[in-house]
Amino acid sequence: MLLTVLDGLAMGSTYALLAIAFTLVFGVLRRINLAYGASIMIGIYVAIWVHQRWNAGPIVLLPIVIAVTVVAGVYVERLCFAPHRHRAAVTSMAASFAVWMQLEEISTLLLPRHANAFPSPFEFFSAAGTGSLVRVDHVAALGCAAAASTGMWYLLYRTRFGLAVRAMTDHREAAICTGIDVARLSALITLVASILGGFAGYLIVGIDTQVTPMFAMWATLKGMIAAMLGGIGSLPGAVAGGLLLGLIESHAQQFVGPQWRDLISFVLLFIVLWRCPAGLSAFWRRAQQTPPSGATP
Amino acid sequence: MSEEILSILANVGLLSFLALSAYILLIGGEMSFGQQAFFGIGAYGAGLATVMGHMPLSLALVLAVLVGGVASGLLGLVTLRLRGLYFSMSTLAAAEAVRILLELFVYQVDVPANGSTGSSSQVGPAGTAGFGGIRYIFEHGIEQPVFVLLIYGLLLALLVALWAFEHLHAGLALRMAGEDPELAEALGIDVERVKLTAAVASGAIAALGGGLYAHYNTFVEPQNFDVMLGIHSLSYALIGGLGTALGPLLGVALDVALLEGSRIFHGYRMIAFGGIVALLLVVRPRGLLDEKTVRWIKAWAGRRVAAVTGLGQTPKTTKEKP
Repeated sequence: MLLTVLDGLAMGSTYALLAIAFTLVFGVLRRINLAYGASIMIGIYVAIWVHQRWNAGPIVLLPIVIAVTVVAGVYVERLCFAPHRHRAAVTSMAASFAVWMQLEEISTLLLPRHANAFPSPFEFFSAAGTGSLVRVDHVAALGCAAAASTGMWYLLYRTRFGLAVRAMTDHREAAICTGIDVARLSALITLVASILGGFAGYLIVGIDTQVTPMFAMWATLKGMIAAMLGGIGSLPGAVAGGLLLGLIESHAQQFVGPQWRDLISFVLLFIVLWRCPAGLSAFWRRAQQTPPSGATP
Repeated sequence: MSEEILSILANVGLLSFLALSAYILLIGGEMSFGQQAFFGIGAYGAGLATVMGHMPLSLALVLAVLVGGVASGLLGLVTLRLRGLYFSMSTLAAAEAVRILLELFVYQVDVPANGSTGSSSQVGPAGTAGFGGIRYIFEHGIEQPVFVLLIYGLLLALLVALWAFEHLHAGLALRMAGEDPELAEALGIDVERVKLTAAVASGAIAALGGGLYAHYNTFVEPQNFDVMLGIHSLSYALIGGLGTALGPLLGVALDVALLEGSRIFHGYRMIAFGGIVALLLVVRPRGLLDEKTVRWIKAWAGRRVAAVTGLGQTPKTTKEKP
């Protein structure tokens, strides 16, 4: 029981990182980047390619994953988001889908096999934890994700850049009026989202120890679902949505099997969007908006 | 005609139905990620009707259209209240749920022993293993080229219907609702009803395509109807252009016929396709045949006709657009 919770939290924490990236990009650009999963995937594929060629260790692969994801992310931003800043969001989304297809094919050309092994950075821990019931790699991944989330929290709530991002998310027009450079902020947020995505991708394949071409769609879907469950545009919501999705999946997986697990998460997403589009963030939004007693004139 | 060209033609025709169903919602201003679900519902519905119900193909297709339309209408009642991204995500969630339900759907019946093989077998949807043995067109001696003709006949009928629709009040109302819902509402258009009608029509069209798809391929599986298919059909409509119903067809033809059919980009098809589409959208954000181009072509064609027949000047209504 406790193990299922831990499994759920470990996967959920990586979903949370993906969801934070989706929510940040949506907050600043008012766009959904469908190619997000694909940019992470190409990062992972290039890292595995380097590993197969020069037998690079798992620690060296982390900067490679992140660097390639950033390059792919900037490419997506330049091609799909920057030219369409003043146009319909639909166009950006379609363009990012096209680039998704492109990145996916480049990845599969690089490593044509269906499943590719990824050297796990948690191998050392796993060996140390043999015999114990708790999967040590899950604990390690959870710790890394928590550290990354704390870093994000600092960046967003304690820096001027974070202030600009939150201002854009809360009220776009007003924020632009205060003189925020939209083009610069868009580029920066792409950078942050890509770094975060690369890190999350590294943790995910570190747990799975292999990657298939399905990764691009998988990562995009999980990130979007978690962000929507938490209420897109809300940062605490993204974390809560990711953890909730992870917990639901691990429990459903154990009790009713993988197909029902996916069915449950999609039905849940549908119900949340239908009855409560603000997602989990509705809970604390409501609490915040209640006027303090006696304050009304 | 070679086998390969025939199959490309059939694919272009079948995907056109799906692209058109996405197109109808797009001109209504809604981007659905879930049209593939109705394609799948139509495929399974029509397949079940001919294989299990022993119905004629025509009746099975009518049934598929009805089921697809009703399902899409019911879904629209819920999803059309949501705006923008929320609509897209809810259609995606619903479509994925439908796909997984199809994966869980097992319903098989025994087929009496065939004269030649002598052993009885089972047909029907078998969960993830798919739904095979939809052999109506073989059992009734319909040749493949004839079936492809049937696909294009229905597609042509659909295009004529859409052309008529776009010249009716309802079609204009849908475009207005898509471009500016508040303004449309102010002008007395019941935006909700117009969009719901569009949703029913789009579900019916996708289901018709799905029914034909199942009978052309004789085998369908739930994975055929995943998100990829839906996003592809959306892209076809967006690349081809939102100005005319011919736009989505152009999008399908570009991808399937030019890139998949020709050997030029063999192995690099998606790199070429993705790059072309992304660059194209920078220059032409509403597709190749967007509204402006369509108006321009119409005006030009009008002048040509006038010049050839000598029927005097064409009314220059197109230039008066503010």
